[in-house]
Amino acid sequence: MAESFTTASVRLQNLSKHFGDLRAVDDVSLEVQPGSLICLLGPSGCGKTTTLRMIAGFETPTVGHIFIGGEEITDVPAYGRPTAMVFQNYALFPHMSVYENIAYGLRARRVKRAEVDGRVRDALRLMELEGQERKSPPQLSGGQQQRVALARALVIRPKVLLFDEPLSNLDAQLRVRMRGEIRSVQRRLGITSVYVTHDQEEAFSIADLVAIMNRGKLIQLGTPRELYRQPADRFVAEFVGLSNIVPVEIVSSGAEEAVIRVFGQTLRSRRPRQHSDNTTALVLRPEALRIRPEGATGTPARVVSMTYVGPIARYVIAVAGDGEQLLTVDLYNPRPDEFFPEGTMVSLQLPDEVPALLG
Amino acid sequence: MTSPVATWTANLSSTKKRRLLFALLIAVELLALALIATYLVGYEYVETGVETAGDVETVTMQRQLIGDPALLLLVLIAAGLPILSRNLRREPVVLVALQAAAAGLVVFVVWPLAGVLAESFREEFGAARFSLLQFERMVAQPIVWRATKNTMFIGIVASSLATAVGTLVAYTLTLGDIPWKRALRILTVVPLVSPPFAVSFAFIMLFGRRGLITYDLLHITRYNIYGPQGIILVQLISDIPLVILILSAVFASMSRDLEDAAADLGGRPLHVLRTVTFPLVTPAILTAFLLSFISSISDFGNPMLIGGGYQMLATQAYIQMIELFDLQLGAALSLILLIPALAAFLIQHYVVSRRSYVTVTSGARVGAAYTRKLPGWIKWPLFALVLFFAAFNLLLYGSIVVGAFVRTWGFDFSFTLRNLNGVVNALPNLKNSLIVSVGAGFVGGVLGVMIAWLVSRARFRGQRELDFMATVMYAVPGTVVGIGYILAFNGSPYFWTGTFFIIIVAYAFRRLPVGLRTSVAAQKQVDPSLEEASLDLGASRVRTFAKITFPLLNRAFFAGVIYIFIRSMTDLSSAVFLNSGRTQLFTVRMFRVMITGTPSQAAAFALLLIVIILLALGLLSKLTGKSFVDMFRIA
Repeated sequence: MAESFTTASVRLQNLSKHFGDLRAVDDVSLEVQPGSLICLLGPSGCGKTTTLRMIAGFETPTVGHIFIGGEEITDVPAYGRPTAMVFQNYALFPHMSVYENIAYGLRARRVKRAEVDGRVRDALRLMELEGQERKSPPQLSGGQQQRVALARALVIRPKVLLFDEPLSNLDAQLRVRMRGEIRSVQRRLGITSVYVTHDQEEAFSIADLVAIMNRGKLIQLGTPRELYRQPADRFVAEFVGLSNIVPVEIVSSGAEEAVIRVFGQTLRSRRPRQHSDNTTALVLRPEALRIRPEGATGTPARVVSMTYVGPIARYVIAVAGDGEQLLTVDLYNPRPDEFFPEGTMVSLQLPDEVPALLG
Repeated sequence: MTSPVATWTANLSSTKKRRLLFALLIAVELLALALIATYLVGYEYVETGVETAGDVETVTMQRQLIGDPALLLLVLIAAGLPILSRNLRREPVVLVALQAAAAGLVVFVVWPLAGVLAESFREEFGAARFSLLQFERMVAQPIVWRATKNTMFIGIVASSLATAVGTLVAYTLTLGDIPWKRALRILTVVPLVSPPFAVSFAFIMLFGRRGLITYDLLHITRYNIYGPQGIILVQLISDIPLVILILSAVFASMSRDLEDAAADLGGRPLHVLRTVTFPLVTPAILTAFLLSFISSISDFGNPMLIGGGYQMLATQAYIQMIELFDLQLGAALSLILLIPALAAFLIQHYVVSRRSYVTVTSGARVGAAYTRKLPGWIKWPLFALVLFFAAFNLLLYGSIVVGAFVRTWGFDFSFTLRNLNGVVNALPNLKNSLIVSVGAGFVGGVLGVMIAWLVSRARFRGQRELDFMATVMYAVPGTVVGIGYILAFNGSPYFWTGTFFIIIVAYAFRRLPVGLRTSVAAQKQVDPSLEEASLDLGASRVRTFAKITFPLLNRAFFAGVIYIFIRSMTDLSSAVFLNSGRTQLFTVRMFRVMITGTPSQAAAFALLLIVIILLALGLLSKLTGKSFVDMFRIA
């Protein structure tokens, strides 16, 4: 199967979609390289699904253009586009068998009967569905339905594969397994994919690039690592992981790095952001912070609460300052001397170097 | 090897190809419209004056536009507006479907109703100029006022009583712990499957001047069933089942938890009934009231048969128009009839239905409702009421069955088959009825599924307006439909009155609303992503409809077809206007026999019609795989 795929880039150019006064998608431009998987990540209502549906052809953009492989398809109806979607609820046709579901797209293209059969068998084998072809979709388990949906999309050899929160109906364990399978199939076939999810972990584990969206706008595009280390703004910082956002004072700022003061400690930041005034904000990831018993070096703080979730002891501490700032601190594999009862005073230690300052 | 055209098109990009096809489509449509235009409008030279000077006679002629340019313009707008939408231009199949639906609704719904309105205000029949004076003059006639007053009186009394009784029966049947539920549930809705005026006929057989009960059993000679009291009684019998159906569905789908919560908080049964149960079903009760009000004031057959000269709008419109040839007064009476019917419909559509707390789906399973324990002094009187109503229906329809096979009803009850002779003579009429009803069933069914798809799945401006045009006929009395169609399509250039075509179209559009609502409800049960998946996999709109949408909707489609078939088989009020000698319908013939023939002859007609309806319901039960009892719900 793999050798017969031709894949293509996807380009969105100033794409907008308005529903009445609501700007569901607001001036989004994006390019997906052939063979790569991009995740559209954002909270519900951020426009990620609408963007995907415009690529599939279910929605007409209010403004903007969509190109697949360099050819504009903005006004091509859904059935004329070289895309195939895996739906959130799978959208398997309930009145057809598994075999008929997978063969559907081929029959719609009037592929010869013998070829249809061969390709459906290939797809069944690829998705490990052999022996299930006569069953009707409701007889299958959630994971199997998901495989059928993927097989049905792959069998037509689309240039672009679209995923609309495909794992949200599965339980947690199956979700992790299926996303591994989706990723390996996508890699193996080298097929350009756009994947919509609201789950940060899912997005980071599956995508080459992640596009973070909020209120219809594309906020930041980057690799998972870039997004985590250098969030463009407060929204991204909070969305891609639990964050402490604290005000900082810039002591000095050079081209390469800045020296900043936080809670009375002096730190360096690699990628300074130029600002007119001297105060800005900093993202402190909970796992980057440490707390030690009172008296050790660091900023004095008080333990407000502690939750113990297996490998992590999650503390909420209060740092005295102008007003009281609450911080989350995660201690991985806490040693016995790292358990601090509520109300005790501790010392907060910051990392020497922090990734980036927020605008 | 390939032709130059093929090579040329092969070299075009897909966007260009689609633009080309689109241009071709518009060209074909314009051509079709131009052809229709030559039929609809034309010029004619009309003599406007003659001057004679000596031997020379000077005739002045003027070119005049004849035909229906206004209708042509409306069609042009209806078919043209959809082209403005980019969404629709992208999908030519949807575009054409919408254009067809919009044009069809404009021609066969809006135009005839506009005709009724326009005719009432013309200076004289057919005149080009309008005048309020003429309408005032017509309305000033005592008959108009009397008919209006009578119609409203009958409508309010009959529908209030029907709603009250129907609600109690529905409550008892759905939620009460009473015996014989299954049988009672069928018997109480049986009038739905018969022609409405069969009820008055059965009434006459039982309670008329020589009625079985009044005369033979009780020897009452002074009792008179003819008149408003008769109309109200008969309408009760035919409207109560309607109320029962609406409310049974609501009672059945009402969550028991709410009542349990109320009881848990200390509410006694009657208190719960008053404070929780009843408020929850109020919107449904109002709906039932409004719909039975529409049904009551629209009723034509029953007042004609049992009204004893009691003047009502529907019957007077017919008499003025068909028997006294006063088309304009007929139109004015229709207009007056249309106003309360439309008002009731609008109130239901825009006010009541927005307040319903209980969603009623076509799939509501009445049998699954949880029964409530009621105190005996409430339960048994309610049970007695249900039993009485069921027994009464049994008596009415039993007398039709028996009546068909006795020598002379009321005098000689010996068995005979000779009444069937009359029916055999009417077989050509039956054939006519079958032709129009099957035709209307399919046209209406297809329209219903198509418009249901357009209003619930496609996206375009004016969706609500289209939905409204397709639904408004529900409120339009059959008499008004008949008169509207005559006014719109009787004259030049159509001359359609009396043809099968116009009767099929009238029935299809008149009964479209129910088919439409059934399909919309079914459509809502189907996940939209199924259609999207099909399109996404490369299936065209047509293929998607054929392979995905329709197979998942076919029950609703068949239900719509059979419903329209049954309603067309039993219709009288539009038929009397639209059929002609050649196309005379079975119900019209039956109606004449009921007035002029012996009761037994007429009973044979009614029986045959009932048998056909039961067969149609049986067929539907086979097609949809549901039980026969469920079939009564659609009728």
